[in-house]
Amino acid sequence: MVVLDPAHGGTDPGARGAQGIRESDLVLDLTMQVRRALEADGFQVIQTRSGNENPSFDDRSATANAQYGAVFVTLHISSSGLPGTARVYVMPEAAAKTAVNTGGILSWDAAQAPYVTLSRKFGDAVQGLLAQKFKGSPSNAQVASVRQLRTTAAPAIAVELSSVSVQDRSELDRMMPGVAEAIARGLASFRPSYVLPSDAGAKP
Amino acid sequence: MSVRWRTWVLVGLGAATVIAAIYFPYLRKRVKTAAKIEQPSEEQARRELTTPTAASADPLVKARMFWASPEDETALAAVNLDLALSPEPVPRAKQVLNTLLAGPVDSDLRTLPADAALLAFYLLPDGTAIADFSEALATSTPSGIQSEQLAVDSIARTLEANVPQVRRLKILIHGQEVETLAGHLDLTQMFVVNTKATQPGPLVGGALPKATSASAGLAAGSAAGKKAQR
Repeated sequence: MVVLDPAHGGTDPGARGAQGIRESDLVLDLTMQVRRALEADGFQVIQTRSGNENPSFDDRSATANAQYGAVFVTLHISSSGLPGTARVYVMPEAAAKTAVNTGGILSWDAAQAPYVTLSRKFGDAVQGLLAQKFKGSPSNAQVASVRQLRTTAAPAIAVELSSVSVQDRSELDRMMPGVAEAIARGLASFRPSYVLPSDAGAKP
Repeated sequence: MSVRWRTWVLVGLGAATVIAAIYFPYLRKRVKTAAKIEQPSEEQARRELTTPTAASADPLVKARMFWASPEDETALAAVNLDLALSPEPVPRAKQVLNTLLAGPVDSDLRTLPADAALLAFYLLPDGTAIADFSEALATSTPSGIQSEQLAVDSIARTLEANVPQVRRLKILIHGQEVETLAGHLDLTQMFVVNTKATQPGPLVGGALPKATSASAGLAAGSAAGKKAQR
């Protein structure tokens, strides 16, 4: 099961470009393309939103946390960076080191902690493919304390495309099939190494 | 009312009118003069409050500021400056952060919004720093993981390079803990500042409510945040 999260929405447009490009609209289109690529590869997909709503960070995480053996991908368009590049972000390892064992009960605020290593593996797989398709993109997943990832109890990555500052949104539209393919292929190569931290054997 | 009283009242009113006519131009002049004295904005007033007054008495030292790199505006580059810095960590941190906020010579390489101000800075004995910025830091930083990360990293790395006592950083906006900087980067957590005290790696970190020891480089973020709000 793959949970796709088109960021922002509703009253929150996210990053906005001078040409009227809104992150919240573009990520919805990107999500649809990623969804098609994943479904073509046999993955089941659910979305945290499919219209112009703005669920809270916790609501979005809850969608993923309610699934057994899910992976989570939150999709973003940045307001900075070299246009035509794409980056994957994962939570810092430090988050895992401070995870507190509360007798098997996982703190909601630190839900990502046991999954940080898996998230990095998944993120590196996707980023490697993005680097091949989009010149100037880094070759490994980047580390950032992204709020959405922290409460997600699954291998979780944020994918951010640059940027809303392009002259024409078609430049971003052209990137979408390549991003969708990178996520689908990256997930396929990550899948064999996905063993749930507390329950071996589960697969997405 | 007698005719005499009416006369007195009329005379009194007449005198008041004459006095008012004489006083009015003088009053107008005073109002104009007062208006010319520029009232500092709320932000300016705060900036002055948070800038230590004894700055000029401090010795000139080499400071390292982290602004955007001229080669790659999404990365940071160190700029060496001669700054009058206090030997005391709190005024020193305020001085370097105010310099960071003032920005580099090339304003395109700013990492923080020009209208943002540092409102307060606290340092707890365990090395936890609490930096309270004005609303503009949240509202004017461009929304995006990369841009928000660059802003926070420039603050964390500048503190790391110049104020060795700071080990962790909590960022508040107008005295409050906020969920994200501009929609992405988590401000409910602590950022690791002094990487030598922890593991090498990027200057980010997540603290959990029950972090076990300070030597792990992370502390109970929410508790420190709440303390600082008071």
